[in-house]
Amino acid sequence: MTTAPRGAWLFPAPALLGLVVWMYAPMVATGVLSFLEWDLTSPTWTFAGVGNYVRLVTQPEFANAVGRTLLYVLAMLPFATVVPLGLAIVLWKRPGRASDVYRALLFLPVMLAPVATAISWRFLLNPLQGLVNTLLGGLGLPQPNWLGDPGTALPVIVLITAAKIAALNMLLFGAALTALDRSCLEAAHVDGATEWQTTRHIVLPQLLRTTVLLTLLCVVLAGQWVFTNVAVLTQGGPDGATDNIYYRLYTYGFTFFDIGTASAAGVVIVLVLGLVALVGRKRRART
Amino acid sequence: MRAHSGTHGRDVRRLGWHAVLLASVTVMVFPLLWALLASFKPANEIYGAALLPSSASLENYRVALLDFPIGHVLVNTLVMASGVTLLQLLVAVPAAHAFARFRLRHERMATALVTGALLMPPQAVIVPQFLMVSELGWRDTYWGLIIPQVSGCALAVILLREHVRAIPASLFEAATVEGASEWSMLRFVTLPLLRPALGAVAILVFIGTWNEYLWPMIVAPRPEQTTIQMGLQLFLNQEGANPGPLIAAAMLTTLPIVAVYLVASRRVIHAFLQSGLH
Repeated sequence: MTTAPRGAWLFPAPALLGLVVWMYAPMVATGVLSFLEWDLTSPTWTFAGVGNYVRLVTQPEFANAVGRTLLYVLAMLPFATVVPLGLAIVLWKRPGRASDVYRALLFLPVMLAPVATAISWRFLLNPLQGLVNTLLGGLGLPQPNWLGDPGTALPVIVLITAAKIAALNMLLFGAALTALDRSCLEAAHVDGATEWQTTRHIVLPQLLRTTVLLTLLCVVLAGQWVFTNVAVLTQGGPDGATDNIYYRLYTYGFTFFDIGTASAAGVVIVLVLGLVALVGRKRRART
Repeated sequence: MRAHSGTHGRDVRRLGWHAVLLASVTVMVFPLLWALLASFKPANEIYGAALLPSSASLENYRVALLDFPIGHVLVNTLVMASGVTLLQLLVAVPAAHAFARFRLRHERMATALVTGALLMPPQAVIVPQFLMVSELGWRDTYWGLIIPQVSGCALAVILLREHVRAIPASLFEAATVEGASEWSMLRFVTLPLLRPALGAVAILVFIGTWNEYLWPMIVAPRPEQTTIQMGLQLFLNQEGANPGPLIAAAMLTTLPIVAVYLVASRRVIHAFLQSGLH
């Protein structure tokens, strides 16, 4: 790290300019729009004061969307942490060709177009003729209407999305493990430590920081991750069962053209996320 | 005795691990495999338990190619993904170089801007972004599809910064002694050493953009101008009752990316494992 030469700011300037113009300025504009009543197309608008915020918090749909978002976070957590952590450790413990192949195949879902995957699942989960229910019926088991029943729709959306998240996080845990010195483990083995003991006392502590980070990312982004699958498979239904705040925001804006309420929702979301991130950063700094 | 039961236990455990991994791989890859096989089936066999078509045909692909402007959509997506990748790397490389190399004034604010952008939900800024694009006359254009996505450069900046940090300081010092300017250090030290990481980050950005759904839906919602994800959604709305061509279209848009990944998977995964992102 050296002291900055003259004109050092020119280096990050294009990136920061891009972020300010296309991310932060629009965010400020969203803040302004949240106090207006406007339908996106008409040339006039009216000042609404805090009316949009009042409407937002008194609407049962928004409360439902908030609750569902939290459910998504909880349901997604194991797939963002425990599952990829297990996979990463197993793959790290036996390096070699087989592990490379497993890793490459497990990562494949990350590369697939979400709409294409969602289309496959739509057919596989068709309640009457889909492969899943055909197999269940063959075994004499009940055949749920997976995406049409409020009880099963959210878990299905979570599982479909989870494949991607688990795969991505597996590699992030893998990155943390790559930084771990293997000789340390060998020394412990020589000293008579069992597989479990070394995992518990050497490998897991190494992964603590990553686990905290990925938990935080899951808390902040789980609702975001499921967006495409919700849009393609359920549109928030049945009966609001798969709704979440991001999809709600999108619906306010581009289905109802209620820009004021959409923007108010955007402001609320960003404030809450900012708060979560701040608290998380403090915690992370401590670990 | 102990040693013997040890090897035996290890064999059992190894089998167990392979079983877990194979099961995971099956769950992950199955929908793709099913769709690939289904795309060759006649309409009446798409549903049901048989994995293999009774007689494979390319009929679904023929219909998909007729009804779905796949050429347009693929070209649009290719232009968008390449454009966004180029744009993001162009702004991210110098930024990463600066953040890793020297202590800037107000650096904390700059890093906060970058990490904050990573957390910002796109839906929260999409209305103003849409208004800006409309004002500029960029709707249904490549400009509109590409330029605003510079707002996604934060991940590239952060990933690349870690890689620049990993470059030994002595290389830069040697260049300083020879009187090289900071720009030529970026050009002749950072850039060549960053090349493997750049490739991997480029692939990630490219695939992420290739799979972008929300933004094309807002700025370019018409079939001829849109990209893959939105195009598939439109085709789904239009052909919902006609599954064969729909699955074929999904495959036509998925297989190029799978092919690219299978060729580059080693590199992508290596870049991730060595990314220092933890």
